[in-house]
Amino acid sequence: MSINNLSKVVIVAKDEWRYWLRSKLAMTVLAIGLLLTLSSVVVTAITMHELSHARHELQSNAEQSFVDQPDRHPHRMVHYGHYAFRTPSPLSTLDPGIDAYTGNSIFLEGHRQNSAMFADQRQGTALTKLGSLTPAFIVQTLAPLLLILIGYSSISRERESQTLSYLLAQGTSGTTLIVGKGLALLSVVGLIIAPLAVSALFTVSTGESLLAVTSFVVGYALYLTVWVLLILLASSVFSKNSGSFTALAFVWILLCIVMPRVASTSASTAVPSTGKIETDFAVKAELRKLGDGHNTNDPAFKQFKQSLLEKYNVNSIDELPVNFRGLVASESEAKQTDVLNQFAEQRMQAELKQTQVSRYFGWLSPMVAIRSLSMIVVGTSIETHHRFLRETEQLRFDFVQGLNKVHIEKLNYQDDMNRNANAAATQKARVSADNWQILQAFNFNVDSANIRAQRSVPAFLQLLLWIAVLVGGIKFVGKRLS
Amino acid sequence: MNYLIKQFTREWGFLLRQKYVVVLLLCSLVLSGFAIYSGLSEVSAQQQTIERLKAADQSDRANVQQKQNDAGMLAYYSFHLTYSQPSNLAFAALGERDIFPWKHRINLLALEGQIYESDAQNAELAQAGKIDFVFVISALAPLVIILLFHDLFVSERTSGRHDLLVTTAKSYFALWGARITVRFVAVIVCLMLPFFVGAFIAGASAFEVGYVSLLCIAYLAFWAVLSVWLGKNATSAPRVASSLIGLWVLFAFIIPILGDLAINKAVHAPNGGDIVLTQREAVNDAWDLPKSTTMNAFIKEYPALAPYVDMSSEFEWKWYYAFQQMGDLKAAELSQAYRDAAAKKYELAGTVSWLSPPLLLQRSLTRVASTDSVAAYNYEQQIRDYHQQLREFYYPWLFYKGDPTKTALKNMPRFESTTQTSK
Amino acid sequence: MTTHQPVNHTSNNVSTIAEQSNNQNNDNKSANYKAIIEVDSLSFSIKNNAILKNLNFTVGSGEIYALLGGNGAGKSTTLKTLLGFNKPTQGSVRVAGKEVIKSLDFVRGKTAYLPESATLYPHLTARENIKYFLSLADINKTDEQINAAFKRVALQEGAWERPMQTYSKGMRQKTAIALAILREAPIFLLDEPTSGLDPVAIDEFNQLVRELALSGATILMVTHDVYGACQVANRIGLLRAGELVGEFDAPENGRIDTEQVHAAFAQRGA
Repeated sequence: MSINNLSKVVIVAKDEWRYWLRSKLAMTVLAIGLLLTLSSVVVTAITMHELSHARHELQSNAEQSFVDQPDRHPHRMVHYGHYAFRTPSPLSTLDPGIDAYTGNSIFLEGHRQNSAMFADQRQGTALTKLGSLTPAFIVQTLAPLLLILIGYSSISRERESQTLSYLLAQGTSGTTLIVGKGLALLSVVGLIIAPLAVSALFTVSTGESLLAVTSFVVGYALYLTVWVLLILLASSVFSKNSGSFTALAFVWILLCIVMPRVASTSASTAVPSTGKIETDFAVKAELRKLGDGHNTNDPAFKQFKQSLLEKYNVNSIDELPVNFRGLVASESEAKQTDVLNQFAEQRMQAELKQTQVSRYFGWLSPMVAIRSLSMIVVGTSIETHHRFLRETEQLRFDFVQGLNKVHIEKLNYQDDMNRNANAAATQKARVSADNWQILQAFNFNVDSANIRAQRSVPAFLQLLLWIAVLVGGIKFVGKRLS
Repeated sequence: MNYLIKQFTREWGFLLRQKYVVVLLLCSLVLSGFAIYSGLSEVSAQQQTIERLKAADQSDRANVQQKQNDAGMLAYYSFHLTYSQPSNLAFAALGERDIFPWKHRINLLALEGQIYESDAQNAELAQAGKIDFVFVISALAPLVIILLFHDLFVSERTSGRHDLLVTTAKSYFALWGARITVRFVAVIVCLMLPFFVGAFIAGASAFEVGYVSLLCIAYLAFWAVLSVWLGKNATSAPRVASSLIGLWVLFAFIIPILGDLAINKAVHAPNGGDIVLTQREAVNDAWDLPKSTTMNAFIKEYPALAPYVDMSSEFEWKWYYAFQQMGDLKAAELSQAYRDAAAKKYELAGTVSWLSPPLLLQRSLTRVASTDSVAAYNYEQQIRDYHQQLREFYYPWLFYKGDPTKTALKNMPRFESTTQTSK
Repeated sequence: MTTHQPVNHTSNNVSTIAEQSNNQNNDNKSANYKAIIEVDSLSFSIKNNAILKNLNFTVGSGEIYALLGGNGAGKSTTLKTLLGFNKPTQGSVRVAGKEVIKSLDFVRGKTAYLPESATLYPHLTARENIKYFLSLADINKTDEQINAAFKRVALQEGAWERPMQTYSKGMRQKTAIALAILREAPIFLLDEPTSGLDPVAIDEFNQLVRELALSGATILMVTHDVYGACQVANRIGLLRAGELVGEFDAPENGRIDTEQVHAAFAQRGA
């Protein structure tokens, strides 16, 4: 594009701004848009900081109370258990994603994988079913509507008031006109995204990588660009303001309100998932084969017993230099965990597959694309929750096996067997509280920015395809305009 | 009468000739149909899950009962299924069933440690929300109505036909009355027809269907009247539509969001984690407390068992379950406060919903369909009651009757899902 | 018969106007034409802004009355008042003996209105449009009767079943007139009926209007076209800034003198 054309584009854009500055509707809409974005950024930032702080505190309390336990039988500590809390990622101040929809704390104990408890939504008012005051919702759903209200008439207005043919006759090409109007709308996009970008940059100081921040901001910029293009297309195709408006409103309803829900409904219909309770039956059947780790006489441990006797070259378990009950507990915990993990993995894969199906709808709706992109990049998508589940499982396994090791090495087998005989025997079947130090500090971090960026590639492609198709459409219409 | 029919047939024919109206109506029909279809399949999936769980639960318990004889072991290893059967109207209002659990398996251990576990569905899908009939009517239908009614007058005015139409029409009603009525009826039929079919398949009662229809029609009439009224004297269709959509955004998003913020500030709820922690500390401390401390507290609740609390060993199941219950007792106050806070929030949300018609409709419909949080709290209470029944069943065997007989096990209390109705 | 207020007019008006403004002449008029449209001391203002000031005129059966004026003279307001869209601030407007604002349905039933840019529904054919509007008016016409009306307004037969978005302005006008004829209303209110039509179409239109008047219709048209008005009207009322500043009668079997009207029209507050 030549310098001449470029300056014409700028003139058109400036002209559009002058029109907005004089239009009450456009100014109201802009003011509302900025107010909503700003307040959502502030409110969500405060909420998520509070949450993060509270969960950090709960986490260290949980760790403290674990190591503060008195001398005990080590297996008691296995059942005393531990709590893990999912602290939100730094960028979740902009998109809390599924944070409120999954439990954010999990009780870890021996022989069991519990599910996460206390999803915030369950304590909610049910008022925010349609939308909440988060920057993600405001920019994904409401910003396009505001852009439509500002821009629906950008070209159809010129046509309706017959200034279009005048402009064209003066040598302004259709393309220049459209590009100029587009530039004006893009500057509005910049205004909307600015608070988001500033808030996102702040998270760099709290440890978020620049890559994630950039992907986040670029993702939203691309998304709103899709809407600018849609608006320009509709405004050039329709000869009347009302036609352009109706069409855009309809498209908005379809893409922003209907499609995300159609996506999730279709996904859960297409890939039915079995609940935890139901798979637990299969898990139990599988576990039953492994034997009860509390019961050393369970026939399932016969072979294990034999191999131990051979290993230590002794004749009976009483002669073992280590605690046989501890060994059985440790052995069965390891085997159980294998089974539990196998089923947990299956469940997560099924959930991921469901989510994947719903994400395919991003090809049909840019809103679905940006929704996935945003949650993935921020680290509040289902993958993050799965990571939380996996990490807490590792934490659980480590401390349980740590306690079992204490059980094996530091507790005499005979004392252990007699633990219920009388109060003194119970006292004797204990180990020192120093052993509780085996618990490792847990600090949940989301996946690295690289992994998150990689996961968001399909969503980026979806947005770019939308842009490519729309630019093609506008070029075609722009030529016809002249 | 004949005259009326003539007006309606004329306007009906006229409506069918307007392509964008027909497209909008078809879209409404398809969306409503999709919502009803997915609602029906979701409810049927839930019912099938419950049936499968019932069967698996039975055989699992039978298995445990075959292997174990000891009352304590039986109580430890036997899990009991509880569930909340979807109502006949649940297909139209899936409500909160994607967030609140509707199935739970519990054993005799402290309930506070079990009841907050949730067998929730895919959180990312739950966050996006689902399309159900309530969503279509409360959120989408207003937009369809706005698109259909906002330019009823304005489009005639801007194209210069308004005066000719009005002066030609024999009466005001013959023109606008008939036009509005035909459009309204058409949109109602497109939105409600799938619901009627769904209600027939799901076996909802005529009263329920009538009540739901009444609410929906009143709600849609509200939006139609609003659109017509705002559009009556206007000269620019987009301006009318923008103000209407603005109102919709206000009702559907802004008021609920502000209400949510205010309510969450106003109602202080205890942290859920504290309940479980309190219960865990109580249960674990009990191991190291003198047995009499636990038992003395226990017989305050069950004086009838007082003669049987003496222990002959350092570990007895009766003591174990007694301190489990004492753990629940210790957390009871917190747990009640947690539930009270939730109930209070729901109540306040009810007040807020009077400012927002879409919310009001959602609440009313999920209430009749028993899929709201009230229904979820009721289900939680049913679990609590059932857990109490189980305790009362097991305690005599644990304390003095010895191993339960097979006949006794057969007569063990069963969970009865009382289909909740709000009327 | 009410007594009319004298018409305000400037000093150098032509004699006919002076005659017009006295009661005697008015009585003569009602002998010739039975007064169907009666505008009596009509004033209309929006927020103290006077649009129409003390307007008096009548139109009788068989008469073609042209209300002539420039932009903003109050022509359309007068027409809207006759159609019942405006409520007179003072005075009254009667059609067929009834006060318009009090018997809207009756008056509108007797009136066929031809709007300036006669846009019917573009996605419907001429026949469908006619049928739709006739049904609104609760009038039954056979296809033959509609065909006859189309022929009478000289709408080419090939266009009858085509969507009206393909029509030229003249064809749209003809369709609208066909509708007016089919309504068999005794009163016609025409808003700038010939603007934008080509000369042939205008001739055809004028011919049609004359025929309608001959068959007893009462016709009031508002226009800013001096020549057009003189071509067809029996009487012209000159409207300026909301006031009726002069009336011109056609001589027996003749036309109103264009030069004379033009001179009066061009004189601005002299």
